[in-house]
Amino acid sequence: MDSDNQFMAEALAMAEQAFAAGEVPVGCVFVRDGRIIARARNRTNELRNATRHAELEAIDEILADHDLTPQPRALGVYPLSTTTLYVTVEPCIMCSSALRQMGIRHVFYGCANDRFGGCEGVLSVNSALPHPVHPPYPATGGYMREEAIMILRRFYITENTHAPIPKSKTNLAASPTPSAFFPRELVAQSQFLRDLTCPCLRKYNV
Amino acid sequence: MAALRVAHSPDKGRGIFAAHPIPAQTLVETSPVLLFAKDEWETHGRHTILDHYAFKWRNGAMALALGLGSLFNHSETPNLSYSTHPDSDEITYTTTRAIAEGEELCIYYGNNLWFQPAGAAASTSDVQIEDGWGGLSNLETPDFLEGNPDDIIPEDELPFERFKPPPNEESAETIRTAQAWVVDVPDARNIGAMLKWINRMGLDRPELGHLKRVRKTPTTNTFLLSLDPDAPTLPPEIELPDPPRQLSVPTSAALTLTSLALKNALWPTTYAPKRKGEVEDWTRRKARWAMQAMQTVVDEAIKAQAAGELAIAAYIPSEPDSFIAHDTRQSTAHPLRHAVLNAVRKLADHHTVTTTSSEENGQNYLLTDQTLFTTHEPCIMCSMALLHSRVKEVFFLVPMNKTGGCGGSTCLPFLPGVNHRFGICRWKPGSINTSGISIDDVVDA
Repeated sequence: MDSDNQFMAEALAMAEQAFAAGEVPVGCVFVRDGRIIARARNRTNELRNATRHAELEAIDEILADHDLTPQPRALGVYPLSTTTLYVTVEPCIMCSSALRQMGIRHVFYGCANDRFGGCEGVLSVNSALPHPVHPPYPATGGYMREEAIMILRRFYITENTHAPIPKSKTNLAASPTPSAFFPRELVAQSQFLRDLTCPCLRKYNV
Repeated sequence: MAALRVAHSPDKGRGIFAAHPIPAQTLVETSPVLLFAKDEWETHGRHTILDHYAFKWRNGAMALALGLGSLFNHSETPNLSYSTHPDSDEITYTTTRAIAEGEELCIYYGNNLWFQPAGAAASTSDVQIEDGWGGLSNLETPDFLEGNPDDIIPEDELPFERFKPPPNEESAETIRTAQAWVVDVPDARNIGAMLKWINRMGLDRPELGHLKRVRKTPTTNTFLLSLDPDAPTLPPEIELPDPPRQLSVPTSAALTLTSLALKNALWPTTYAPKRKGEVEDWTRRKARWAMQAMQTVVDEAIKAQAAGELAIAAYIPSEPDSFIAHDTRQSTAHPLRHAVLNAVRKLADHHTVTTTSSEENGQNYLLTDQTLFTTHEPCIMCSMALLHSRVKEVFFLVPMNKTGGCGGSTCLPFLPGVNHRFGICRWKPGSINTSGISIDDVVDA
């Protein structure tokens, strides 16, 4: 296993942690000089805040640590200029912009995010979109992509006990159980593994 | 006795005032300039406060006026004109009309102001201000305090301009589709049995809710089955001539009749026009509320600047609790502590403390039905954070044309395919004094 996939496996472990906590399972690690300096996962439910994505959680951790982020910083030096991100799902537009403002060196991700992706998925916030100050950064997808999708599917199919409950009784009768959205037997089939394009996933922001 | 004195100018800081009456066309000041070479300016000067004061000089150099030159304030209706003299490295200042004792002497800084001029709308000068927005002179009272609070304020008298998302899916190529499995049932006697089978198989799913189940043509009836990637197994008891096939079907209901016709051409689709009043009427009460909210957020930004922060603030005036926050990236040495994210975080932290109900996805869509006011157009990160939080509408005062995510660099809520859209209201220049909240136009607000 090469080092990129090794780091992605660590990011997946964080996604598993999110899964276990009932969160949309997205995880990430930040790597500097070949070493993981921060790990984080989605905490949107726990913190009642749809903006607490894994990437932003990790950035907070890095900036709070004065060994990792010496203070005061030299003028014009970005806090993450020597740091690489491994994240299981393509960063959303919000996180992609945050990463550019932080001067991230490179982003590696698992599966694409056709709904909110900011590294080409929906908008190229990482590079093509001009910014007067912050330089573009490269983003490369496809690292352990199927694993990243599998854990998302697992979350939505069987374990999503946090899904909003339909209000009226008539709705309740008509609504399928979460497992009806994705019959188990289909999940095992690899052709079903299209990135986050299923309508059922679209209502969640990842 | 000197003709000029330095004194405090309302809203503008220090300024130059006439110590006694001065006739028109009087040379009142000759300022020698300090020159910055082009490279020195690019690397250092323009990142400092000097950027607010320097004049363009020849060969790309920049000049800082010494003497009193740098203390003249800007006015839309200046009473002083200036001339640059590159040969002698001086700037001269001459009155354009007779000046009364105690009157402030102002120059016109040019068309690329880095701030919105103080008192531009309140100006009582005889020069009509062309603000590019059709003029504000017909505004009733700037704070909407007088008159019946229930009156509807005409759109062009509101202190802001509203932007609506462009019509969506109004042409054949913009209709979003998914691949659905369908099957032909030519014998109409089988329709009842097919419907029962669909119900029994649980194919009645919400993701098909916007589509009709059966499409009737003179020759056959076609049934919609599922969006699954694999073909469904057909009921053996019903005789069907053909196996299921895939068709492109619309992914959502039609919002307009144009869109409906285009969608119906693919598959019969339901028509769900936006409820009446898509563009909400604004009463004087609401306009007053918005004006006060915007003034609140400006005051917060000015406080922030006094505390050494960037002059950016955000405000969520909700019931029973309102939330206000300003930019803290300087004091926290954290480049992402923007006003909008800080305000969203305050609101979320409040909810985490005050709510004890079990966690559910969807509870984190904090800003549902809420309006957020902010001094500056939010950056892409903050605009997407607002979209994630399902904000209803965003008001901003100062557009950020290079970095903004609500129309400046890009317009996130109007991107095709995003799962939430919010309204954007851009304040018209002039009705609120913004001279105290200027920030560099390359900053992510």
